[in-house]
Amino acid sequence: MAVEIVLPRLGWTMEEGTLVEWLKQDGDPVKPGEIIFTVESDKALNEIESFDEGVLRIPADSPPPGTTVPVGTLLAYILAPGEAMPTGRTTTAVATTAAAPTAAAAVAVSSRRSGPPISPRARRLAKQLGVDWSQLKGSGLSGRIAERDIQAAARAPRVSPVARRLAQEAGVDLSTLAAQKPGARLSRQDVEAALAAPPAARESAPLSSLRRIIAQRMGQSSRETASVTLFTEADATELVALRQRFKEALGPRQQWVPTYNDLFLKLTALSLAEHPALNASWGEGAIQMHRQIDLGVAVDTEAGLVVPVLRQVDRLSLQDLAEQSAALAENARTRRLKPDQLQGATFTVTNLGMYNIDAFTPIIDLPQCAILGLGRIALRPAVHQGQVVPRHQVVLSLSFDHRVVDGGPAARFLDTVRQYTEQPHLWLGR
Amino acid sequence: MRELTFTAAAREALAEEMAQNPAIFVVGQGIGKRGGNFNTTTGLYELYGQERLADVPISERGFVGMCAGAAMTGTRPVVDFMFLDFILDGFGELVNQVAKMQYMSSGRLKMPLLLRGCIGVGGASATHHSGNYYPIFAHLPGFRVALPTNPYDAKGLLKTALRTDDPVLFLEHKSLLNTKGPVPEEEYTIPFGQAAVVRQGTAVTVVAFALMVRKTLEACEQLEKEGISVELIDPRTVAPLDVDTILESVRKTGRLLVVDETFGPCGMGSEVAAQIMEKGFDELDAPVRRVYGAHTPIPYSAPLEQAAVPQVPQIAQAIRDLVAE
Amino acid sequence: MNAPNKEVLLSLYRQMLVIRRCEEQLARSYQAGLIPGACHTYVGEEAIATGVCAHLRHEDAVFSTHRGHGHALAKGVPPRQVVAELYGKSTGCSQGRGGSMHLFSPEVGMMGTSGIVGPCILQATGAGYSFKLLKTDRVGVAFFGDGAVNNGAFHEGLNLATIFNLPVLFVCENNQYATEVPFTYSSKNSEVANRAAAYNLPGVAVDGNEVLAVYRVAGEAIERARKGGGPTLMECRTYRTRAHAEGMREAGYRSIEEIESWKARDPIPAFRKQLLARGYRAGELDRIDEEVKAQIQEAVEFAEQSPWPDPSTLMDHIYSRSGA
Repeated sequence: MAVEIVLPRLGWTMEEGTLVEWLKQDGDPVKPGEIIFTVESDKALNEIESFDEGVLRIPADSPPPGTTVPVGTLLAYILAPGEAMPTGRTTTAVATTAAAPTAAAAVAVSSRRSGPPISPRARRLAKQLGVDWSQLKGSGLSGRIAERDIQAAARAPRVSPVARRLAQEAGVDLSTLAAQKPGARLSRQDVEAALAAPPAARESAPLSSLRRIIAQRMGQSSRETASVTLFTEADATELVALRQRFKEALGPRQQWVPTYNDLFLKLTALSLAEHPALNASWGEGAIQMHRQIDLGVAVDTEAGLVVPVLRQVDRLSLQDLAEQSAALAENARTRRLKPDQLQGATFTVTNLGMYNIDAFTPIIDLPQCAILGLGRIALRPAVHQGQVVPRHQVVLSLSFDHRVVDGGPAARFLDTVRQYTEQPHLWLGR
Repeated sequence: MRELTFTAAAREALAEEMAQNPAIFVVGQGIGKRGGNFNTTTGLYELYGQERLADVPISERGFVGMCAGAAMTGTRPVVDFMFLDFILDGFGELVNQVAKMQYMSSGRLKMPLLLRGCIGVGGASATHHSGNYYPIFAHLPGFRVALPTNPYDAKGLLKTALRTDDPVLFLEHKSLLNTKGPVPEEEYTIPFGQAAVVRQGTAVTVVAFALMVRKTLEACEQLEKEGISVELIDPRTVAPLDVDTILESVRKTGRLLVVDETFGPCGMGSEVAAQIMEKGFDELDAPVRRVYGAHTPIPYSAPLEQAAVPQVPQIAQAIRDLVAE
Repeated sequence: MNAPNKEVLLSLYRQMLVIRRCEEQLARSYQAGLIPGACHTYVGEEAIATGVCAHLRHEDAVFSTHRGHGHALAKGVPPRQVVAELYGKSTGCSQGRGGSMHLFSPEVGMMGTSGIVGPCILQATGAGYSFKLLKTDRVGVAFFGDGAVNNGAFHEGLNLATIFNLPVLFVCENNQYATEVPFTYSSKNSEVANRAAAYNLPGVAVDGNEVLAVYRVAGEAIERARKGGGPTLMECRTYRTRAHAEGMREAGYRSIEEIESWKARDPIPAFRKQLLARGYRAGELDRIDEEVKAQIQEAVEFAEQSPWPDPSTLMDHIYSRSGA
């Protein structure tokens, strides 16, 4: 009948104590009432007496004197003579106390109300009757809009005799008109305005956050930049042939085949490397030349225009470029782009070729200073080696910000782009 | 129908119940031969003698505690405090023993104890004889609190009190004791937790307690002439409190005024307002307003005493203001 | 009154042991953290509850105080229900709602231990009033300590009991300390029994550690009460050898010598000696020892295995079912 000796609970709030000293040693006989050890808690020393008779056995893993342990920790056993020390604990779990409920935190808030005060009952009635109370005034002393005010607003409108006659002749429904201006007195002008307004077949869609952003950026760019657009036509026959060869070679091997967009991105980046003035931003009283060439690639998504950024395009291999741009476009369409993938472009390329657009005037994405628009690659008659032959042609449209860069440098850059388009071997090795 | 005073109606209830139940006995000062300071036991001593109409020495803690013990052991004591103010000396026994006994014993002990006394301001009774205190008892779990405002209710509620196994505070406003009203001859009881719609109306709901019911009724007569239609509700018991009847009325009128003689802080008005706000927020056309007694001990001199509690003109104006809000 | 027979003597012995072993177990359980809240043990005072309650029937009503385990056990609450109650289990006599200071078992006339000092005196008086009004020969008994004697409830209760001549026994267990305050500090009159004279009711002082003395005096008072002779005040002089409440340190308000001197007057070994002197065999007494030990052990196991109360019952019984 091993009796467990544990660190006792000596007070209502005691949770731990320090075993100070054993007054009986391992193997000593113990009688009820004898002090076997001392415990310190709350700076007070307590002598703990035994309830039982037997032999004190202190296991090897008993906490050494001087250690602080939780209440209930096993310290020793009192055994009958010759009894073996138990190997496992047998005590039941200590009862847990219920957690004290936490009081709700009080929050002081300033009034969130906008608009006139209105009673809950009136608000409910207004919703029921479809009355717009935002322009109403409460009739009571408190100024609060009350039930009676909503009821009044919902009743028959006050109409001037002239207006009434006019409405009747013209077939204008006065109650609908009244609902739009609750509580107001309808005049002849109101009826005339209703006659002039087109039938309400509008469908208005609320602005999405993306649309808001696009609107803001486009508007700002239009207002602030001194935008000039240069057009040039490039012979893309070699480029087309190159791409065809890529397709034949890499396609069957399931490797990424560079798109026309990828090819243009690469040659544009290399062009920018030679014309760093176009890889700059209009900043606070200074023009910032960028060390990296990070290209924004315009992607048309269901939600709107999104421009993810490819980093250091001049250093990417065509293969890497192809893979990365494909991934970015996919993420753009599924709106899985992270914010850092949408920021920091130094130059933007936008392609409307797939929609059969030849040339256009792209809007510069501030704070960049230029943007290249790509049209469709189409077979057109051209003069080649003295003959009129069908050649693949593409128009390159470059809008640039004349505040940052002048027409000459811009034109020279565009010419390089044209050159690289026409002669891919000039840059393929780079 | 015959008319009885409030006192007579209540006494009739006590007499009828004592006749039917030999375990009912009354303790208090002057409730024996004298028949009670407020004539609560007139004629009963002659019928039942000293054991059942036992005058006790002035020792409220003692006889409240004693009656608690008696209620636990098979009898049904009535403690008649005369002035309810004296109950406070036994507050410890009431709160820690009487109110908790059923709960502590898990329902194996009942507490059929009736505590009655006169409450309220009036007659220059001054600060130690004008107490109400019922919001305190309504706040604590374990008590029932009845607040009859007319002879009919007094008899019906007292009968119920003498048949329930819960401790009941039966509180009689001293200014109502001599008021008269119709009381049927036939036996009837009024259950606790059932408010009375004293007056029907459409513009505003007024909930009033004890004497304030009568004062509000007076105000209503004047307001009717002004075209203000008031619906007046008398809860009759504050524990349990019939909130449903009040809520139904507020659905109709949208405006609520609570009129009570007791103090504002943590008072009856606060409780009713909070409950209606919680349960009927969208029905409210204006904030719930309250008229309550001044937060002061009750003074002696007439102009001061009158100013300390709601009066008819004040109640009428509060109703007008609420309707105009 | 007749001298107690063998059956009575052995049951007195057994009863004191049940209280002692149960209290020791509760102290152990308390230290193991199994009993939350307060635990005021009755060790050393067993002779009083035993000697008084031996004369009581289940229909008699006992009202006790914060040091009430002994009264509950002596009045007939089974040890398993007391231990389970202190463990907070639903099988406790108060269904887990009360703990040590709110033990209820009206079925056996245990009308409550109490966390407030004084009400038991008033409620016992009230029980006396009921029993008299209902024309029974039942009695009410109040157990309280020296700490209650200067309380208004003592004065008001004894006064009401005496003016109405009620069948009540007031038992003051004068263990000389109210927590750590000596009775001699709180009272200019250091006796309790002589206060009865102020109410013109009989007051008797007795050695509270002598179970047969308690038995005799209590028996006379209860007999008198049953026969309509009115209330009695009994002062039992005794001592608690453990702290005021489990877990409270002996803060030095009493000396080790004083405690030891009272341990030497332990009522249980003293009674055992008397029984042996009367010719009872040690073996018979040992067998009672063993049975009691087993009974307490079973009580602990019962408590440990019992379920906790269901929180959905929290709001039950605030009001009666017949509540209007």
